[in-house]
Amino acid sequence: MAPNISFLLLVVLLSVGCTVITSLDQMCTEKESNKAYNCDYLGLREIPDTLPNTTEVLEFSFNFLPTIQNTTFSRLINLIFLDLTRCQINWLHEDIFQSHDQLSTIILTGNPLIFMAETSLNGPKSLKHLFLIQTGISNLEFIPVHNLENLESLHLGSNHITSIKLPANFPTKNLKVLDFQNNAIHYLTRKDVESLKQATNLSLNLNGNDIKSIEPGTFHSKIFQNLNFGGTFDVSIILKGLQNATVQSLWLGTFEDTEDQDLSSAMLQGLCEMSVKSINLQKHHFSDFSPATFQCFNQLQELDLTATHLDGLPSGIEGLNSLKKLILNVNNFDQLCQINAANFPSLTHLYMKGNTKKLDLGSGCLERLQNLLKLDLSHSDIEASDCCNLQLKSLLQLQYLNLSYNEPLGLQSQAFKESPQLKLLDLAFTHLQVNVPQSPFQNLHHLQVLNLSYCLLDTSNQRLLAGLPELRHLNLQGNHFQDGSIPKTNLLQTVYSLEILILAFCDLLSIDQGAFHGLEKMHHVDLSHNNLTGNSIGALSHLKGIYLNLAANSINIIPLRLLPILSQQSTINLSHNPLDCTCTNIHFITWFKDNLKKLEGLEETMCANPPHLRGVKLSDVKLSCGMTAVGIFFLTVFLFLFTILLIFSFKFLLRWKYQHI
Amino acid sequence: MQGLTVALLAWALLHPHGGGGGDAWPTHTACKNGDLEVLYQSCDSLQDFGFSIDQCSKLLKPNINIRFGIILREDINELFLDVTLLTKGSSILNFSYPVCELDQPKFSFCGRRKGEQFYYAGPVNSPEFEIPKGEYEVLLELYNENHSTVACANATVICS
Repeated sequence: MAPNISFLLLVVLLSVGCTVITSLDQMCTEKESNKAYNCDYLGLREIPDTLPNTTEVLEFSFNFLPTIQNTTFSRLINLIFLDLTRCQINWLHEDIFQSHDQLSTIILTGNPLIFMAETSLNGPKSLKHLFLIQTGISNLEFIPVHNLENLESLHLGSNHITSIKLPANFPTKNLKVLDFQNNAIHYLTRKDVESLKQATNLSLNLNGNDIKSIEPGTFHSKIFQNLNFGGTFDVSIILKGLQNATVQSLWLGTFEDTEDQDLSSAMLQGLCEMSVKSINLQKHHFSDFSPATFQCFNQLQELDLTATHLDGLPSGIEGLNSLKKLILNVNNFDQLCQINAANFPSLTHLYMKGNTKKLDLGSGCLERLQNLLKLDLSHSDIEASDCCNLQLKSLLQLQYLNLSYNEPLGLQSQAFKESPQLKLLDLAFTHLQVNVPQSPFQNLHHLQVLNLSYCLLDTSNQRLLAGLPELRHLNLQGNHFQDGSIPKTNLLQTVYSLEILILAFCDLLSIDQGAFHGLEKMHHVDLSHNNLTGNSIGALSHLKGIYLNLAANSINIIPLRLLPILSQQSTINLSHNPLDCTCTNIHFITWFKDNLKKLEGLEETMCANPPHLRGVKLSDVKLSCGMTAVGIFFLTVFLFLFTILLIFSFKFLLRWKYQHI
Repeated sequence: MQGLTVALLAWALLHPHGGGGGDAWPTHTACKNGDLEVLYQSCDSLQDFGFSIDQCSKLLKPNINIRFGIILREDINELFLDVTLLTKGSSILNFSYPVCELDQPKFSFCGRRKGEQFYYAGPVNSPEFEIPKGEYEVLLELYNENHSTVACANATVICS
């Protein structure tokens, strides 16, 4: 008997186990109604019945599908995107996607594939992207070729592939991206590259494959969009091998964890024999940096020397006359003049972000760069007591300047007089020292975007933003105003063309009704993360159709008279406010429910009062603030008793009066 | 009775775990030596990971070598590390470090894809440093450009 009971128990337990699995079916999350679903990490063994037949995007990673066959996805014939990452798939049998006309992306990354049937990818009319990363492939014949004519990208990273040679019948006509990252490809031969000849504008990624030799003539008159040989030990092998090739962008950088040979001028000689527009040499060491190092860079338009341990560039460099874009991020310069800017007279873009030492801007170090449009000097410990006319002398064409995340800068009036064409100026997280009543941005007639977030500004300076007739976007996040309030006359009144204003995290307690007077063009106002109450909404009465963010403030009651101001806006965020859900606020709550379409962050817009409604979503609150039945009953009783009392006292009064007659 | 044991065993084996919580992951030893012990536990509810430090000494040498094995839950074109150091419950150090950026992929593994099994054995650019005596809690989080968790660890460093 006992074993029988145990058996019964086992069956019950097993069935419990099964119900747990099936109940998980319900947990796919809907990302777009009837179209996009995410079922990642649910331990599923099949497609749940709950998924509608109309599903187009299915994320099905980290489930369990050892075998895939024609019945597996047969119901979901509208699939466009299918992600089967790490589903422990071993077998792809025949005709799996036979009726999936629209399927364009199949992701099979991280599956221990044993075999793919000849017809396993047949069906889709236009299969564009196929991911076979880390699927154990060592031989490219493994991939069934029958339905790959429309393929645009093929991802074969982290496999055991030793040659890029595609099988003879492999269609490459539409191929734009061929990714062989982290394989074991050490040799490239003429025949290998010949197999790609039908592809045009191909990007070939061989990052992490330490190429040891390239057969001479392999790339002769071949054209590539991008070539990536990242992490190669000896760059000169690549450059010699690319003889007579035309490459738009060549990535030859290395990494912290990769061993590589120092670059010498001789190693870069190969560049003279090829045509390349853009080159990246990040993290390399140069062994003998001299004016001749770049002599083969004549045709180059873009040079990226990020983190190449440079502390200076020699003067008189030959070969960089036509360079347009130079990236010197994360190097060790002491002085801006050490880049010897006269080497690059055609430069339009210069990036010197994240210099590892305190960068001294000196004076006039970039004055030869007459064509410079974009300059990034962020994160470089720059400090200057009087910026920036001497430092940025003669940059007359400059349109974009980034000085964010630096040490304190002292700005006088017209601090950017040397760059009158500036359109965007980013000074975020750089402490600005401006004396009242100086106007540092005066005469920037074309400035459209100004980021002054966390600049510790003296906002009492009414003239701070004077002289910016075109300013559309102003970010003042994280700056403070005296007494936490924006008065009627304030620094914003000079920037009348403003469209976007950000005043989040400014510790604001109130905004005067007339504070935004004159700012008629605003369509985006962010006042989130302050301590504002409902009354500050009055300052927006003259604006219509704006995006208004009031999230994370101290708004509890919004009076009836202010509701029309909210009604005239297009989108409003009131989430994370301590909203009042009592009858005192009934007008607002009714308005809220009538305007749900205008409101953003509904899930986080909750009541804080009364206590029993705390944490309830405002959209779910039901209040009836008319008189209740009990109330009416008590009022009637009270009136009745009052009338009786009145009659009795009248009677008593009459009696008392006539008693004496 | 034996049947019951079998049943319980079967239950334990069939009960799906790991998928969305359940028991905490075990605590592992990243390194243990005379004066230093580093313990860690994965705080990602979906998976555990493997980690070890090669030289275990309170006198940390510059660029120590580590070993790290994990299955990537997300693409890591961009990858950031947040570290919080606490002692006796109060935070003493907080920093964020970019590991992979689009304009500067520092390590060879940058750009790997969701679902890849990933093993790294190599240096991390750490400064030379002597750990003062005491017990420290370290919270480490690796996340990508969408703020999706790649790995999360609660570590304890005991230095005597």
